[in-house]
Amino acid sequence: MFNMRRLALLPAAALILAACQSGSGESPDASASADASANPTESGHGMADVPNVVCVGEATTYLDWLAGDLAISEADPIEEPSDAGNPDDLLALIKERGEIRVSTDPNYAPQSFVEPDGSFVGFDIDVATEIAERLGVDVKFETPDWDAITAGNWSERWDISVGSMTITEDRKEILSFTQPYYYTPAQLAASTASGVTGVEDLPFELPGGAEATTLPTDANCAEAIRAGREEFALWISSSTTVQGAIDEGVPIIAVGDPVFAEPLSVAIDKSGPPHDELLYEINNIIGEMHDDGTLTELSNEWYGLDLTEGTASSE
Amino acid sequence: MTTPSATIQPPPLLAEIIESQRQRRRWFRGQFALVWVALVGALLAALWATDNIDTEWMVTWAPFIVGGAGTTILVCVISIVLATLLAIFGAIARMSSNAILFAISSLYVSLVRGTPLLVQIYFIFFALPQMGIRLDAVPAGILALSFNYGAYMTEIFRAGIQAVPGGQREAAQALGMPEALVMRRVVLPQAVRIVIPAIGNDFIAMIKDSALISTIAVQELLWRAQRAGTRDFKTLQALLIAAAVYWLLTIIFSYFQDRLEQRMARGDR
Repeated sequence: MFNMRRLALLPAAALILAACQSGSGESPDASASADASANPTESGHGMADVPNVVCVGEATTYLDWLAGDLAISEADPIEEPSDAGNPDDLLALIKERGEIRVSTDPNYAPQSFVEPDGSFVGFDIDVATEIAERLGVDVKFETPDWDAITAGNWSERWDISVGSMTITEDRKEILSFTQPYYYTPAQLAASTASGVTGVEDLPFELPGGAEATTLPTDANCAEAIRAGREEFALWISSSTTVQGAIDEGVPIIAVGDPVFAEPLSVAIDKSGPPHDELLYEINNIIGEMHDDGTLTELSNEWYGLDLTEGTASSE
Repeated sequence: MTTPSATIQPPPLLAEIIESQRQRRRWFRGQFALVWVALVGALLAALWATDNIDTEWMVTWAPFIVGGAGTTILVCVISIVLATLLAIFGAIARMSSNAILFAISSLYVSLVRGTPLLVQIYFIFFALPQMGIRLDAVPAGILALSFNYGAYMTEIFRAGIQAVPGGQREAAQALGMPEALVMRRVVLPQAVRIVIPAIGNDFIAMIKDSALISTIAVQELLWRAQRAGTRDFKTLQALLIAAAVYWLLTIIFSYFQDRLEQRMARGDR
């Protein structure tokens, strides 16, 4: 008897579920047909019916850009420190340790990602390894989340970030930046299902006309689109990541030209030990790597194109 | 006709009943297995039908992701031991007539049970260093898990200690044992036996909760699955592998916990 009563609950639960499904399923259809009836008079380019939401993968520069207040900056000029040989400088500590600890979040191919054997590879990994080599020390990678790196206050958990970090005014308050080691263009992308083929198809202005939704990383946005989540019709990421997703068969297209170029630099925590000498040294090493073609070579290897020449940032 | 050996066989009717019971049990098990296979099969088929499952990728990455299980288990084993120690002290303090001890342990339990584990993890990893205490990811994760579970287990231990019959304590006191010795030699050993099934339960729960410490870069199961998944836009497959491993781990530990529970129950006479 008791069992039977429990079983009777099952169809009831199924009914409730079905009701919820059809309820949520109906609303987008209804809104779509309402728009369709409102639009037929419009001629020329068919405005795509996309929600004014852009998916962003935990990258504050894109969030700032969408909000219309991105302040990309340049690295401050770095002068030769007057008191060379300061034993308290991070450079001296690293040399003494024989090892530089570099933060990288292996969540961003092709900058930094994992191999099946657990090792880290990517453009940033190679650049960091080369910097360590030219400093004459070993390299050790720490893997905090990206937002822990950009937030500063590293508590001396690692020495430098070689993580394709954009120089911004806000970040400069808490981090010291070297000259850029390369530049990535930020690219808007749309799901092929949305019907958007160019910026002129968007029923709103960018930046300013859309809100951002954040997911843990860039790749999650691509996956949300592939999974058929219609609320994520648009995505902004670096052009290299967008291309990577397209190559992997994610049903998206790049929309319009890159919207802005980001200068990407090595960063050091300002709240840590003094690091004038380390900053000067690494800045010089990056200059050398630009001059001798090392960076161009690595960029070609990982991105298939040379991203080391700074296209003048449009904003 | 009756041979001597036939006399020790059960009478025909009883044998029939036993046989039919055995058959019913076999039938039950058969149905059970069938339902599991059918449901899990349907689940997998539904996933396959998404056309998004790359088995080759899963085979390539399974060793890397499964390798994170070692960290998961290591962290959980250390954490459950520390949590148990914390819980013993917490429980004793919580039943103490000393107001200060009682206040401290009550605050501990209230604070920990009143805040999300994820917030505690972030706090230990990001906020403590600003007060001068810097723990690496793995120790920070262990601290967070043991601190959190210690509070829940404090209540378990308190219940366990209170479940030891009062006569035991009285008898020990009558023998002239000092209070501390009564606790250590008489009450606690019996309480531990009572709470061991609950500890096993918490350990299994902790294996799943430990996924949260992936957020502070402990390279356990979920961390590895996420990193492998985002690399190739294959989060679904990566999470499938991780989910399977978590499930397998809980099945294995549940089995041992059942055995332990039966063994412990044998002592109750």
